[in-house]
Amino acid sequence: MTALGPFLLGAPWALAALIALPVLWWILRATPPAPKDIELPSLRILEGAEPQEETPARTPWWVWLIRTLAVLAAIIGLAQPVYAPGAQNNTAEGSGPVLIVIDNGWPSAPRWGELINAATATLDTGDRDAPVHLLLTAPQQLNADPAERMSRTDAAKRLASLRPLAWNTDRKDALARLDASGLKPARIFWASDGLESGTGRAFAVSLAARAPLTVFAAPPRGPVAITGISSETDSVSVTLRRVDLQVTGRAFVSAMTIDGSALATSEVSFASGATEATADFTIPAAALARVTRFAVTGRQGAGTVWLWDSTDRSRRVGLVGPGAEAQPLLSDMHYVRKALEPFASITEGTIETLVAESPDAIILTDVGQILPEDADRLKKWIDGGGALIRFAGPRLAAQGDDLLPVPLRRSSRALGGALAWDKPQALAPFPETSPFAGLKVPEDVRVTQQVLARPGPELASHTWARLADGSPLVTADKRGAGTVVLFHITAGPDWANLAYSNVFSQMLRRSIAAGRGESADDGDGAYTPKLTLDGYGRLSAPGPAAAPLKATDFATTVPSEAHPPGLYQGPAGTRALNAAQGARPALISDWPASARLLGDAEARSLRLAGPLLTSAALLLALDLFIALLVAGHLPRLGRRAARRTGAAAGLMLAALAFAPHQDASAQSYQYELMPDGTYRRVTSGPTVVPLPGSENDPALGPALTMRFGYVKTGDAALDERTRAGLFGLSQVLIQRTSVEPAAPDGLDLLTSPLELYPLIYFSVPENAAPLPEHAVARLNAYLRSGGALIIDTRDGGDAGVDFRISRLEGLLEGLDAPPLQPVPENHVLTRSFYLLTDFPGRYAGRRLWIEKAGTASEPRGDGVSGLFIGDADWISAWAVDQNGRDLYSVDGGPNQREMARRFGVNLVMYILTGSYKDDQVHLPALLERLNDRDDGDKPIRLPNNIPDGGPQ
Amino acid sequence: MNPAADLRAEAEALARQLPNLNFKAEASEAAHIGSAGRRRAGTGEHFWQYRRYAQEDAADRVDWRRSAKGHDLFVRETELETARTVLFWCDDHPGFRWKGEGELRTKAEEATLLMLALSILLSKDGERIGGLGAGRAPSFGKRAVDRLADDLARGTRQTFPAPPRKPATLIVASDFYDPVPEWQARLAPLAAQCPEGIVLAVASPIELDFPFQGRVRLHRPGAGLSRIFGRAETIREDYQKRYADHQQALRDLTHRMGWRFVSHVTGTPLLNSAAALKAQIESFGARA
Repeated sequence: MTALGPFLLGAPWALAALIALPVLWWILRATPPAPKDIELPSLRILEGAEPQEETPARTPWWVWLIRTLAVLAAIIGLAQPVYAPGAQNNTAEGSGPVLIVIDNGWPSAPRWGELINAATATLDTGDRDAPVHLLLTAPQQLNADPAERMSRTDAAKRLASLRPLAWNTDRKDALARLDASGLKPARIFWASDGLESGTGRAFAVSLAARAPLTVFAAPPRGPVAITGISSETDSVSVTLRRVDLQVTGRAFVSAMTIDGSALATSEVSFASGATEATADFTIPAAALARVTRFAVTGRQGAGTVWLWDSTDRSRRVGLVGPGAEAQPLLSDMHYVRKALEPFASITEGTIETLVAESPDAIILTDVGQILPEDADRLKKWIDGGGALIRFAGPRLAAQGDDLLPVPLRRSSRALGGALAWDKPQALAPFPETSPFAGLKVPEDVRVTQQVLARPGPELASHTWARLADGSPLVTADKRGAGTVVLFHITAGPDWANLAYSNVFSQMLRRSIAAGRGESADDGDGAYTPKLTLDGYGRLSAPGPAAAPLKATDFATTVPSEAHPPGLYQGPAGTRALNAAQGARPALISDWPASARLLGDAEARSLRLAGPLLTSAALLLALDLFIALLVAGHLPRLGRRAARRTGAAAGLMLAALAFAPHQDASAQSYQYELMPDGTYRRVTSGPTVVPLPGSENDPALGPALTMRFGYVKTGDAALDERTRAGLFGLSQVLIQRTSVEPAAPDGLDLLTSPLELYPLIYFSVPENAAPLPEHAVARLNAYLRSGGALIIDTRDGGDAGVDFRISRLEGLLEGLDAPPLQPVPENHVLTRSFYLLTDFPGRYAGRRLWIEKAGTASEPRGDGVSGLFIGDADWISAWAVDQNGRDLYSVDGGPNQREMARRFGVNLVMYILTGSYKDDQVHLPALLERLNDRDDGDKPIRLPNNIPDGGPQ
Repeated sequence: MNPAADLRAEAEALARQLPNLNFKAEASEAAHIGSAGRRRAGTGEHFWQYRRYAQEDAADRVDWRRSAKGHDLFVRETELETARTVLFWCDDHPGFRWKGEGELRTKAEEATLLMLALSILLSKDGERIGGLGAGRAPSFGKRAVDRLADDLARGTRQTFPAPPRKPATLIVASDFYDPVPEWQARLAPLAAQCPEGIVLAVASPIELDFPFQGRVRLHRPGAGLSRIFGRAETIREDYQKRYADHQQALRDLTHRMGWRFVSHVTGTPLLNSAAALKAQIESFGARA
C-alpha cells in the first residue's frame, strides 16, 4: 500500500489515467450534443436554402462538469483509496504476526461497528503479508483459536462476520487460551469495550508485556445497562447505570409486551457525575401484567434489555366453581371474575382441585357449609399463606362455619326495605390500619343487606371496612401465614351495588395481596430456556448450547453460553436471567504506560473505492438522462418537466448525502380502561362515541316502553283477535293499575327480540303446524331468562271436558316445559291484584296450567311460573276495538267479561312482581323471625302457605 | 364515439352556424336535373307561373283547369330545377395527416371538417356530392355526406386522382408544399375538365412560424428527407420569406386556372374558413 497523506492507495497506478482528463475535456468540447429531432412537413420549402451559420452549439459547461467528475471519481475509485488517519504511525512496527483481541461481550454491542472498524483498520496497516491471529474475550464453546493463522483478507471477512454475544467477557479465560496457544505476536491490537469487568487492567498489563500494545477502547456512551428493577402494584422503577460521567445524559426506557409493542416510555436523566439513575413507570396494573421486558430505546445490546419474569406480578386466584348456570350474568361469580380478570390468572374448580394448585387466593361466594374434608384442606392451605376470600349471601346468613374471620349473627340485616326504618347505608372511610386505606370511598355505593358480626372485643381490629353506621362490611383474620377475609355482602349486586363500583375490584386485589399462597417448592425443579437474548438484545429461540438450569442455582448463575440471558420456563412459572443483573460497570481508567491508545478518529479507516465508483456510476446515469433529454428522446418531458427532474435528481443526491439520523424522542402515551378490562393506548384525537340508534329502531321501542307481545301465527284474523285482546288488556291495566303498557307487538318467533317482552301471548290456531326447531329453541331461551309465555288453545268446552293437551304436544315439541299443574288453591295468581277463585275467559270453568313449584323450576327464579297453558280463550273476552267497545260475546255475559279482565290484571301483576304477594303471605312469620334474634339455634320452619296472609 | 363520427358531429355543428347556401348557379355544364330550384321556368316539378298560351306551344301543354276560369288559354310552367356535382379531394400524404405538438387536429382533419361542413350545406341544397377519385358516383342526401366522409378518410393512396369524366365543381385540399410546378402539372388536367374549383390550403402554425432554435434535425413525415441545422434560428427569416413566396405562387396558379384559393391555419376558428369557403363556392353562381 502506498501512503498518500492520510490516504492509503491499493492500486496507485490507476491514477495515471488522470492524464486522460485533458483529452476528454477537448473531445467533449468538440463534440456537440445530439440534435433535437423535429418533424416539419413544410421542410420542402427550404429545399436549396443554405443556412448562414453552421457552427455547432457548444457542449454546456455543466454537462462537461458532470462527465469530468464522473471520470475523475471512477479513476480515483479504481485506485482503491483507504482513508486511515491512524495508519502511518503504525507502519514502522509490525513485521511479525499481528494479534487482534476483541471484546465481544454485551458491553461492546452499542459500539460494535466501531470496534470492528478499528480492528479492520489495523489490518490495513503494517506488513501486508504478516499473519493475523484473532482472540475473542467472551468465552464460547467453539471459540477462535488464537494460534490459527489467517491472511489479511480472511481476517477481514472473519471480522465482518463476528457478532457480539449476550454474556460478558472473561478476560482471564482469554488470557489462558492465549497462553495455551503459545503464540508470540509481534504486535497486539485490542479493540476493547473499555469496561473493567473485574480484570480489565490486569489483562491490558499482561498483553502489553507480550508485545507492543495498541488499544482502541470504545466504552458505551450513555446508559450501559439496566441493572435492577423494583415494582409496586402499579408502578415500576428500573435502575440504569452508565460509565461516562462528565455530561448530564438523557435516555428513554420503554416497557414492552412480549410481541414488542411499547406500552409506556419513561425518561431517565443522569445527573452530572452520577452513575446510576432510575426510570419510573406508572402503569395501570392490568397493563403492567402484560409487560415482559424493559429496554433502553434506540440502543442495542443485551445489557440494556431487562426481561421481567412472572414471579411477582400475576396473582393466581381460584374461584370455587359455580357450575353451569342458567343466568350467568346474574351470578355472583360473574362479578368477581370480571373484577379480577385484568390482573389475575383465574382458575375454577372444586375446593379440592384448587387447593392442590395452591393459588394466591381462593374465593367463595355465599357458601354456607364447607364439607369437613374440604375445610381441613383449606385450613392447611391458609396456614401455608393463602388468602381465603368469602362473600356473604342468603346461605351463609343461614348457616355459617368456622372458616370465618368473626362469628356471625344468624340471619341477615336488611336496610331500606319496605318494612325497615333504616336507609341503605353508604361506606365509611376505610380505617387507617386496613389494607384498603387510601382507596377513595365511592359516594354512590349503598348497602341494602348484610350479615352482621357478633360484637366482640377484637371485632374492631379485624374490620377492614365499615358502613357509615359503623357495622363491619369487610372483616379479616390472620390464620397462620394466611388470611381469611369476609365481605359481609354478596359479590353480586343483590345486597349492595358495590359490585358496580371501581373500588370493588381494588378491594378484591388488595384482599388477594393479603395472602401469598405461592409457596411453590421448586428446589428440585429445572428451568429450561424458552426465549434467549442475542448480543444485540433481540429475543430469539434458544441456541443449541443453551442448557437447562437448576432452580437452586438460578439466583447465583452468571449468564454464559450454556445459560444465556433470557426467559426460562420452570415449575413456578417463567423466570428471567438478565445479562446485566447487579452489574456495576466501570471504565478501565489506568492503562499501562506502554500501551498506545487510539482516539476515535485514528481507529477509523474508510474504504473509499466503493462510494467513489458508486458516485461515478450515478453521475454517468445522470449524464445519460440529460443526454436523452437534450436530444428530445424523453417525449413527455417538456422544458418545465426537465427543470423539475433536475430538482428531483438534486434532492435525491442530497438525500443520499445526508442520510437521516434516527432521533429518539420523548413519547408519552395515555391509557384508557376498556370495558372488557383491557387497557388500550389512546391518542389525543377526538373520541367518537357511537350515537344510540334512532327512535325508529324496532328493537328500541319495546326496550324503552314496556309492552306485550303475541306470536304471529300466520292466520290474520286470529292475529288481529289476539292483538285486540292484548290491546284491551293494556287499556284495562292503564285504567286500573300503575302498569301502563304500550300497544302490543306482533312477534315472529324466528327473528323478533323476544327477551324484550315480559309477556308473550300465543293463541294456538286450529291445525297449527309444529313450530320450527329454531323457534322452540328461542322460546326456551326466553323462558329460561325469565319470560312468561301464555298458550291459549281457545278450545273451551264444558266444565266436564278436560283440556286437550295432545294438540300442544305436537305443536311445541321440544319446548323445555317443566312439570305442569293446575293452579293450586291460594296461589299468588289468585291474589296478585284481585281476589279470584276462577280464571274465566270467553269460556268459564276452564283450568289454567302453570309450572309446578319445586326444585325443577328453581333456576327460573323464585318459583314464579313462566308458562301458562289454558283453553278459556281469554283473548276474545279482553278484545276491544279502538274505541274501547267489546268485540266478541262472552258466555257468561258482562259479569264473566269483568272476571276475565280481572284475571288478566292478576296475570300481568303476577308476571311483573313474581311472588311478591306471596311474601306478604308470610308476613307473620317474618315478624316472628325478627323477634328471634340470636338466641334460638333451631332452624325456623315456615309453613308453606298461610291462608289468611294476603291483603284483603 | 369514433373519430369519424366525431368529425361528422363537429361538421354538423359548424354547418348549423352558417347561413343557407345560396348557390345561384347558372345552367352550366355541371348542371343535372335535380331538385335545386333555379328561380326560372324550366324542367322541374314545382309550379313556377302561368303564362298565356303562345302559338308555338303544343296543345297538351295547355293547363285546362286554369284556362276554364276565363277566356284565355294558359300554359303552366314549372321551375327549372338542376343539381350540381361537387367533388372533394383531401390530400392523404403523411405530412398532411400531421399535427404539430399540442395541436388538436391534424391538418387533414381540419380540411375534412371544413369540406364536410360545406358538403352538409350542399346536400341540404340538393346538390350531388362525392369524393374525387373515390370510385363511387356522386350522390344526393344525407347518406352522401357519410359516404364522402368515408372516402375522405380512406384517401386515394397518396396518388393524385385523374379528372372526373363529367364536369363538376372541385374542391381540393392539401398543404401544397410540393413545388408549384409539380402542383401545376397535377391540377392542370382537372382545370381543363372542370372550370370551377377551389384550392383549400391548410397549414399548421408551426409551419408558419418556424419556432425552432439550437441544434435540430428536421425531417418531413412520410419522406426520407431530413436536414440538420446547427442553429435553426438563423434560417427562420429565410424560411418565412420562402413560405410567403410559395403561397403567393400557389395563389397565382389557381387564379390562372380560374379557380378560387382559400387558406386555413389549424387552430384558428373554423367558422371563418368555412364562411370563406362558402363565399367562394357561391361566387361561382354569382358570376353568371
